[in-house]
Parts: sequence; structure tokens; C-alpha cells
Amino acid sequence: MNRRDFFRFTGFGASAALLSRLADAATGQLGFVPTNTGIKGRVVVIGGGMAGATVAKYLRLWGGSGVTVTLVERDAAYTSNILSNLVLNGQRTLTSLQFGYTTLASRYGIKVVRGEAKAIDHVGHKVLLADGTSLPYDRLVVAPGIEFNVIPGLETAAAQAKVPHAWKAGAQTTTLKSQIAAMPSGGTFVMTIPAKPYRCPPGPYERACVVADWLKRNRPGSKVIVLDANSGILAEPENFTHAFDVIHQGVIDYHPGVTINSINASTMTLNTSMGALRANVINAIPSQRAGSILTASGLANAPGQWADVNVLTYQSTVAPGVHIIGDSSATTQPKAGHIANQEAKICADAIVRLLAGLSPDPAPVTNSACYSPITSQTASWLSSRFAYDPATAKMALVAGGLVEAPSISKDNYEEMFKWFNTLMEDSFA
Amino acid sequence: MSTTRLWVRALSATVLSLAAISAQAQTTVSAPPAGRLLASNCFQCHGYNGRSSKGFEILAGESASEIYGELREMRQKTGKDVGIMEAHTHGYTDAQLKLIATYLSKQTP
Repeated sequence: MNRRDFFRFTGFGASAALLSRLADAATGQLGFVPTNTGIKGRVVVIGGGMAGATVAKYLRLWGGSGVTVTLVERDAAYTSNILSNLVLNGQRTLTSLQFGYTTLASRYGIKVVRGEAKAIDHVGHKVLLADGTSLPYDRLVVAPGIEFNVIPGLETAAAQAKVPHAWKAGAQTTTLKSQIAAMPSGGTFVMTIPAKPYRCPPGPYERACVVADWLKRNRPGSKVIVLDANSGILAEPENFTHAFDVIHQGVIDYHPGVTINSINASTMTLNTSMGALRANVINAIPSQRAGSILTASGLANAPGQWADVNVLTYQSTVAPGVHIIGDSSATTQPKAGHIANQEAKICADAIVRLLAGLSPDPAPVTNSACYSPITSQTASWLSSRFAYDPATAKMALVAGGLVEAPSISKDNYEEMFKWFNTLMEDSFA
Repeated sequence: MSTTRLWVRALSATVLSLAAISAQAQTTVSAPPAGRLLASNCFQCHGYNGRSSKGFEILAGESASEIYGELREMRQKTGKDVGIMEAHTHGYTDAQLKLIATYLSKQTP
């Protein structure tokens, strides 16, 4: 019997399915999409960041082939904010922090649409894209990340380019790195931190450390002045206080409780509640709000223009069938990539159950883990864990609260890359 | 009957019965496996279903009682002995740790 007869005898469909299963087994390290869950539904996901990518993947892994997932993303690849501070000191390239969507598409059969969502019709259950396409859905997940509020004085694109936040990794990260490199010895780098909540609580303190470490070695005599709108260090207070006062002593000046009234990009001057300052580099991190698709659709209904959600399912409190995850949602959990990954899993599980006519899991738990570089060789970490509290209907910080690394170490620095590599694989591969 | 024919018959019978099993399973919708959502809190460091490949411990297919025992031990640690994993264990009840350990023990590495 020849090969042609064999395929004719068994039926090409059955063989293709078998071969496909064998191929899946080979790549099964990262899971395969089951074909026998009996669950059906059309899900559209807006936003391909940590939350959106993870929810798309887990909807397929846990929902099965009957749950179609369309991921709408306007960029060709995601650039990780996590570890982007290591671009500033030259230890990572921006390219090494970029993650595309072809693996998600081919491995899990996610339909990736390159485009921008313009409007959400949550009554009619469809998403309108900027190019006029309409995407109907049974369930919608919106994960657009953050938008920045304008700091007075920085209303123009030119001013914003001169005073970058670099809080969405990409072109501004490169700009900020160049600005730091162009500083003279004895120069001044000023960072402003907005009032909470903001994306990545430890991020600004971590950046201050990484920049201070680089300046110490390459532009001696330079200062890093941190103007924090908050009343104290919001994440890892012991470690960052030690980093500011001991490790980077003489370089970092930390000032809590400072508000920024305006910034003049031409004169590189800040007008603040503690007076006027001039700097060579100003890294002003503005206060934030939910991604614009949510404000445009009337779904950013929590104070500060974040989106209020039910944390058992992440459904919007004003639009049933629309789930909102990641930085743009208003919950008691921090705005962070690792948490976004966790919320995505809770959300995917809830959607799969709802499509199957089941109730959501009544007791979800999420955890936050984050490593922060303190120098070019050492790092610290934080951990927090949240469990659903039925009395408040919120995710409550549990046992032990916020934990920080007992020491800043080289071991933590090595572990940081294991954490990052696996986190990004879990979200994008 | 030639060996080739016997082989082809056996293989096609297997394929057909696999298809039958799959078709049968298609009609039932069941709740997610116990412990899966809780265990998924671990995947972003330990890999999907605990199949770590990038440095942290592989958990897939490990003994449930061993995983559970280790998690409980980690939860006892204090002060300088608290690594990131020890800190994490404080977020879970005994019952939750058991569910996680059991789920991971059933995964193929």
C-alpha cells in the first residue's frame, strides 16, 4: 500500500487531526487548545499588552476551540515596561523587550487584528474599529492600558518630547536614555512621581536607583532629585529608603509630599510646592487614567477616570458583557504587568464558565511579584497577595500584606531575569 | 493478509476510536478542574501547568504531598529566610495549597 492509498483509506480529516494532535504534543510544553469542551462563544479582546495577550491565550486554552478569540492591537509588537529601566543604563535594548503576536496566533488560533478600537456598542455587542470594521462579540475584554493627564506647561507634543515620561516603553525610553547620556558631570536629573494610583508602584523608585547608579559611575557629581506627590515611598519602603540613603547616598535627594504646579520645557524649570527647580533632564511622570477607548465609551466610571469592575469576573459595573482588566481597571490591586497577567486568568476562567452557563469562581486569589534593579548588579523584590472578600466585594490584601526582600542582592538580580522570561512567555507564548 | 494491511487496519481502527471518544466528550460541559485557577497563579514563574523551562522549579507531575509539604514549610519561614516564594505562600489557606498541589501533580511534565 502506498501513502496515497493510506490517506484515502483512513480519511484525510482524521489523519490531519491526529497529526495536528501529535504536533500539539510536541509543543504541548505550553499547552494546546482542546477541541472537546463543548463551550462556544465569540470573544473580542481590545489591547495586546500583558492583560490582553494573557486573556486571549487562556480563553483558548481553557475555553477550547469553540471559543473564538479576536485580539485587536494597534502596534506590531508589545514593548515591555518591565525591565525598561535597564534600557536607560544600557543593560538592555528596547528590541530585546519587544514581543510580537505571531506565536499567540499560530499556537492558539487567536485571530490577531492590527487596528484601533474606536467605539464600543455594549448594547448591540459590537466593537467599531477606526477603519470602519465592526466586530460582533458575545463577550468583550477591554485592556487598553493607561492614558496620561497633561502636566500644565507640557500641552504640546514638542514639550512632551523634551520632558518625557518614558512610562509607556518605546520611543520615549530611547529619548530619556539619550538625555541622560548627554548630561554633564555634576548635572541634575529630576523625576516627578504622581499621586497614586499609578502604573507600577515601585517603578519610579527603581528608575531613580538605576539612573543614580549610572550617573555615579559615568557623570560623577550628578544628582537625582525625586519629587514625590505621595506622602512616602509607596513600594518596598525599607529597601528603597536604604537604596536612597545608603547605597546611592549623596546622589539621590528624595522629597515626599511635593506637588508640581507647572513645567517649562524651554527653560527646563519646574514650579513646585517646594519652590522652583532647574534641571538638565526632567522625567515628569504624569498622573494617569484609563485608556481612551474606555473614557470614550463611558466605561471609565471610577474616580480618577478608571473603570469600575466586579472583581469576580472583571465585568464593568455599567456594561454587562464587557470585561475590563489590567492597568485601566479600578481595583485594590496594584497596576502592574504581573497583576495584569493574574487578572487575565481570573477573567478568562470567568468568561469560560459564563459561556458554559456556570457561575464564576467565588474565591479568586491573585498575587503580585516584582523584582526591581537597584544597581547594575543587584535587585530587590516585592510580593503581595489578594483574596476576594465577600463582605466588601473587593480583593483584600491578605496575610503578611506587602512583603519586600529582606536584602538587596546579586541573587535577586539573577532571579529577576528568570521571573521576567517566564512571565513574558506565559503572556505572549 | 500482508503486514502492511494489518498495520493500516490497526492504525485506522485506533484513529476511528479516538475520533469516537472525542465526539462523545464533545457533548458534556463540565466545570474547570479543581485547583486549576489557583494553580495558574504559579504559571507566570513556574511555567504553564508547572512545566517550568526557564529556571524556577518544575512542578508538573511532582508528588502532591511533596509540593504541599514544601509550601507549608515555606510558610513557616520568617525574617531573612523569607524568599519571594516563602512570601507567596502566605496568600493561601491549607485547603487552597492542597488544591494547587493536587492539580500540579496531575500535569504531565
